[in-house]
Amino acid sequence: MAVKNKKFLFGLKVDRQLDGDKMNREFLDKVIAEGGEGAAIAACMQCGTCSGGCTNIDLMDMSPRTLVLMVQRGEWEKVLKSNALWLCTSCYICTSRCPRGVRPADVIEAVKAIGIRQGVENDSTKFNQIFVELVEKRGILFEPELMQKYGGLQAMLAQAKLGIQLTLKGKMSPLPAKIKDPKKFSEALEKVGKQ
Amino acid sequence: MKYSYYPGCSLHTTAKEFDMSTKVVMTELGIELKELHDWSCCGGSVAAGVSHDVGMAMAARNVALAQKENLDLLASCSGCYNKSARALKALDTEAEKERITAILSEMGISVSDCNIRVRNVVDVLANDLDISPHIKKPLTGLKVACYYGCLLTRPADITGWDSPVFPMSMDKLAQACGAEVVDFRSKTKCCGGPILVSKQEVAFELTKKLLDEAKSLGADCIVLACPLCSTNLELRQPDIEKNYNVSYNLPILYITEIIGLALGIKPGKLGLNKHIVSPKTVLNKLGF
Repeated sequence: MAVKNKKFLFGLKVDRQLDGDKMNREFLDKVIAEGGEGAAIAACMQCGTCSGGCTNIDLMDMSPRTLVLMVQRGEWEKVLKSNALWLCTSCYICTSRCPRGVRPADVIEAVKAIGIRQGVENDSTKFNQIFVELVEKRGILFEPELMQKYGGLQAMLAQAKLGIQLTLKGKMSPLPAKIKDPKKFSEALEKVGKQ
Repeated sequence: MKYSYYPGCSLHTTAKEFDMSTKVVMTELGIELKELHDWSCCGGSVAAGVSHDVGMAMAARNVALAQKENLDLLASCSGCYNKSARALKALDTEAEKERITAILSEMGISVSDCNIRVRNVVDVLANDLDISPHIKKPLTGLKVACYYGCLLTRPADITGWDSPVFPMSMDKLAQACGAEVVDFRSKTKCCGGPILVSKQEVAFELTKKLLDEAKSLGADCIVLACPLCSTNLELRQPDIEKNYNVSYNLPILYITEIIGLALGIKPGKLGLNKHIVSPKTVLNKLGF
């Protein structure tokens, strides 16, 4: 069809106007079921206000606006491959500015979690997973352990000067803090993570 | 006024001066803080991106503990404040409440129906009382850039802040202390905190922009209320200087520290000797 090759038709942008039949409820529901507050994804009218305010838009291969569209269409592979997920700092500018209550930051958060469960691996997923594991372990994060587990000896050495300064100022304890019953805490959370 | 005080992971470690200054300022203003018994990490900006329910349960645990005390939860750290407020909202949603309650009960913690609120130290200082009559040593001549970052004010339906993109509460507090507040356009731009480790260069770039603007406005220091922002702006300032071959030497102070100084509290008691970027220039200017 000739229409397909045209970007605009009678002044209307073709891909937007034809989008109705491209929607994929299944993926939309999957993201909503993750439990975020992205329940209004379907309400996105592609105005781009989210992208306009985004902190890291310059570096993203897919803008928050496009990402929401891809979730609507069920283009799951594209969504999971996008570096936008890992460049998002969860700063909520997009969510605060959205005129339709779509909450792109929560959509991204839900997609991240689904992606990790589907086996997406990179520096960010590695960091996020170690962070959660360590909080689950004692209930309170021990930063030197996070650095060591994430970056190994090299990261420890790179941060050694700062670590010494902080220790001398009484701002870093060599021993980790923990909650009273870390066992119960971690068991309850590990169970959820596996579901 | 009495609050259940939730220091979070940072205030007992890298943000020690925030902990010290919060406690001493609150006491001076007649607000009682009772540290939340057996608090745990809120999961920060990271946990919910691994599993929504894990993230919510981590934050909700502290809310449930504060409910038990029947006291509003006061969090100084912006991240702890935001995530706790979000968990409180989730506990108010039927579908989420059920899931969170189930996880918490496995931990041996029950959720009660007691209505508490989650508050931030800036919010309490700006909205619950008037600090002006308590000012003993006005910070005359000090130029400050107030930096709110992201999670302190956003999203507005969770924080209920004056504005999610151009708030004034901290600016007004600094003004009440007698300081001159510069028009810091980047006051709610993100510093890149949550991606500092995994995408360091990107985070440095974001933080650099903030330091550049504050410096160009002639600010003597940046004033903030988030330990993670402080990690980027202060602890990583030497790294950023090295990376970009620039020199800032810009002190980064917590809002409670400058309020404390204005209340006439000694710098040592506020933890001002614990900074990595020395606040000496600020103290000299104020005649300490």
